[in-house]
Amino acid sequence: MSTNVAIEIKDLTKKYDDKVAVDGISLEIYKGECFGLLGPNGAGKSTTMKMMYCSALVSSGELYVLGLNVKKNYREIKSRIGVVPQEDGLDPDFTVLENLLVYASFHKIPKPEAELRAQALLRLMKLEEYQDRSVETLSGGMKRRLAIARGLINSPEVIFLDEPTTGLDPQARIWIWDFFKHLKSEKSTLVLTTHYMEEAEQMCDRVAIIDNGRILTVGTPRDLIRDLIGKEVVEFDTNPVDLNYYLGRLRAEGFSYQVIKDTVSVLIKENQEGRRVVDLIASDKIFIRKPTLNDVFLKLAGHQLRDE
Amino acid sequence: MKFKEYFAIPKVNSGALQVWSRNFLYFKKTWLVSLFWIVLEPVIYLGAIGFGLGAFVNNMNGFSYIEFFFPALLSTTAMMVAFFEGTYGNYTKLTHQKTYATIMLTRVGPEEIVAGELLWAASKGFFGVMGVTLVAMFFGLIDSYRIILALPILFLLSALFSCIGMIFTSFARNYDSFIYSTSGLIVPMSLLSGTYFPLEQLPTGLRYVAYLFPLTHAVSAVREVLHKGPTLWVGVHVLVLLVATWVCMNISFFRIRRKLLK
Repeated sequence: MSTNVAIEIKDLTKKYDDKVAVDGISLEIYKGECFGLLGPNGAGKSTTMKMMYCSALVSSGELYVLGLNVKKNYREIKSRIGVVPQEDGLDPDFTVLENLLVYASFHKIPKPEAELRAQALLRLMKLEEYQDRSVETLSGGMKRRLAIARGLINSPEVIFLDEPTTGLDPQARIWIWDFFKHLKSEKSTLVLTTHYMEEAEQMCDRVAIIDNGRILTVGTPRDLIRDLIGKEVVEFDTNPVDLNYYLGRLRAEGFSYQVIKDTVSVLIKENQEGRRVVDLIASDKIFIRKPTLNDVFLKLAGHQLRDE
Repeated sequence: MKFKEYFAIPKVNSGALQVWSRNFLYFKKTWLVSLFWIVLEPVIYLGAIGFGLGAFVNNMNGFSYIEFFFPALLSTTAMMVAFFEGTYGNYTKLTHQKTYATIMLTRVGPEEIVAGELLWAASKGFFGVMGVTLVAMFFGLIDSYRIILALPILFLLSALFSCIGMIFTSFARNYDSFIYSTSGLIVPMSLLSGTYFPLEQLPTGLRYVAYLFPLTHAVSAVREVLHKGPTLWVGVHVLVLLVATWVCMNISFFRIRRKLLK
């Protein structure tokens, strides 16, 4: 294994009783990169991540974190990584500062050192004036910031973040993504799950799109968009009566498209012209836009509603 | 389920002490409310049952009623406090607060969590015993070095019920589940284990059933050691408690470890 690999996964599976949550995933995550696991709810991305941070047992396959086997060296792995779980898991019995100190004690960080690190992290996360408040009184954004501070208390080499911005207001989301940029600039390895495609596109060096426990594709957002979607997208609204007629015309001209209810997104390849579609379609609501990771996601994972 | 897995000695490192310390830190923050229920409640029992009701009883095999009742009060305090910490306290940390899931993110593993929690609930039961002992000393109920011999037995009893509480926690589906264990086990035990009246008063059949209750052995041992000193019977009762604790401890390790790491 080369030294620039932070996480190496081979044929990883996870079964819960009769349900297969992760179905043979292979992946390499490099040191210093921000890697995004994307996928609909229940796709297996959180389970995959839980196995990486040693909170779920591996059913079969190989999983190495920082060159260490999760099946044997989980204690050492856990002391070298930081985890921000989806449900914060802050201890309501304690204050903001105590949450950090108690967590540091589990990491066996000596008390004076823990105090210093906790104070520094509270300053960094703009929480120093709340240090004696009960965590119950914090807003959602502050709780998430505290959970991030807690995940950083052992100066981890790899940081795992499960849905770090889900359920936060726009200001809190922006603040947290800015903070991740700061972490990235310090060469930390970040592994995160999210369903916010715009954020993943901006933040992640590479992403893996996961559905039904399998990896559908891996790559940089730019490459995935270019290879799977193209240079631009023409989107128009139509009605069920005209839909098939329009689709026939598009097919005849060699365009590929994806349909979500009455909205058609035409994927314009490098050698095609978006203007041509506008000539073919008589719709009031037609526009050309830049393709996004969202288009990739919908193309690969489909657009059916997920129940779980 | 492998028999061997149940009875293997759990490998535990010092992380268990950090788990214990986390609980102690919370205990220090809430000592006043703890004082109320783990000490004041037994003291009221002491007054109402021991002095109040006991005033109508002349002689219990050569001892006053309060001398008869006091060992039982120490034992039920240990049992109740350890059991409630082991059930409601641990269940909250296992489910609603996700405390254990968070601890699992560090290098502290499930074995240390179980060991730390068992030790904690046992300690809390023992704090109750110490509190009641101090109050009893104040009332002049303790006049013998023999209390020193009774304390380890009471700690063992706390440990046993801390393990039993943990086992119930591992089966619980919600807080109401604990009504079965409280009303079906703990309350009957606290009434029928030779606590308020001698076992000889029970119908013959029930008397043998009472010997299945761990509390019976604890009350008998503590009473014997306080009244007569360390006799052979004390050793027999302590042996029963030791075996029961060992079995329950291993079951709770096995059950909770499977719940925490899937």
